[in-house]
Amino acid sequence: MRHLSKIATAFTVILIPAAALAHAMLDRASPRVGSTVASAPKELLLWFTEKLEPAFSTAEVHNAQGATVQSGKAHVDGSDRTELRVPLKALPPGIYLVSWRVLSVDTHRTQGSFTFKVGP
Amino acid sequence: MSNRYLYAALCGAAAVLVTQPARSHEIVGNRMFPATLVIDDPGVADELSLPTVAISKTGDVPPVKEIDISGEYSKRITEDFAVSFAPTWTHLYAPGGPNMVGASGFQNIETTFKYRLFKNVEHEFVASVGLNIEWGASGAQDVGAERFNVYTPTFYFGKGFGDLPSSLNWARPFALTGQFGYAIPGSNTTVTVDPDTGDIDTEFNPRVLVWGASLQYSLPYLKSAVADIGLPDFVNHLIPLVEASLQTPVSNTFSSGTVTTGTINPGVIWVGDKFQVGVEAMIPVNRQSGSNVGAIGQIHFFLDDIFPNSIGRPIFGNGIASGQPAFGSKP
Repeated sequence: MRHLSKIATAFTVILIPAAALAHAMLDRASPRVGSTVASAPKELLLWFTEKLEPAFSTAEVHNAQGATVQSGKAHVDGSDRTELRVPLKALPPGIYLVSWRVLSVDTHRTQGSFTFKVGP
Repeated sequence: MSNRYLYAALCGAAAVLVTQPARSHEIVGNRMFPATLVIDDPGVADELSLPTVAISKTGDVPPVKEIDISGEYSKRITEDFAVSFAPTWTHLYAPGGPNMVGASGFQNIETTFKYRLFKNVEHEFVASVGLNIEWGASGAQDVGAERFNVYTPTFYFGKGFGDLPSSLNWARPFALTGQFGYAIPGSNTTVTVDPDTGDIDTEFNPRVLVWGASLQYSLPYLKSAVADIGLPDFVNHLIPLVEASLQTPVSNTFSSGTVTTGTINPGVIWVGDKFQVGVEAMIPVNRQSGSNVGAIGQIHFFLDDIFPNSIGRPIFGNGIASGQPAFGSKP
């Protein structure tokens, strides 16, 4: 058992420092996931757990009727490649669905969605 | 009962109860199905479970304390097909106290061939089929390793509840996974001769339904897809869950009987970007399944995330780690 324990420890020591890349999962957003904001944001910000490939990472925002409410294309921030920015039109009160699809720099593709609400 | 027969019974119990090494993780849209500790999850991946340590007491009279230390290496051949190898080392403490002799050794090595059959992102559903082979005579008879192969075709599924309506937002982080397998021994009987008395003992090797499930509540899912309620970062990585791992002999049961054995395991998994750590209690479902609450812990590495450009990618397949199962949608 002592030998097995040493082997396990060695694997842990070897593997964890090697960890540098992974699936890009949504870490946080502004407005926050599932939140209600009193004033309409001009931009949606998404932060991921890994750097993104700009050409293959995007997000869309739709209102309750399914119409897009973006004022421009989503783009990866030039100074922080974990951040995806989505410019928005002036949003009236309502619920909005965010759908994102990204490719991390290690070529793992992930996607997801969430909602936020504008209004009282 | 002589010590010889008592020991044989203990070894048999160990063979039945030995912790199944395992478990891959799977990402389906918003949903990440973690590697569960005692049943296999529904996906395929490049990964390493090392170590998995389980401590329990068998259902024998008197009960025997047992420690199992196992590992599993899973390698994708294609995006949707993987092969895994899983050795388990077992130590059986002596029944009745330290003056009697215990036993140690490896269980038979297991190999699992697994194919992801279906994946649907919208409904967070994934299904796979697999064949597990326990290679007879590759382990030590002292700890119950049989001399014959056991073949277990298995169906796996996972379903996240993120497609529930927003009025049930609190329930959307729930997920259910399960497996149903049918273990077919390569030999219907095992005949042993007592060297002292010359008595012949014939044991019938049953065909066994191997089944289980896990109910999970994903706090990472809550934060990233339902509501970021500002929980501490450590808590946002937790997935509380309950697993059930059960075995029911269904035919050739003259020796084994038909009683279902297994454990119900409440626990929690901490999921990071490159590895996860899980711990669970093991509660026997009846007296035949164990005489005490055991425990199991596991460290599990996501090799596809740690080594995305070398051993963490499929041997055959495209350069984008997306996956396109035979049916269903891309992740």
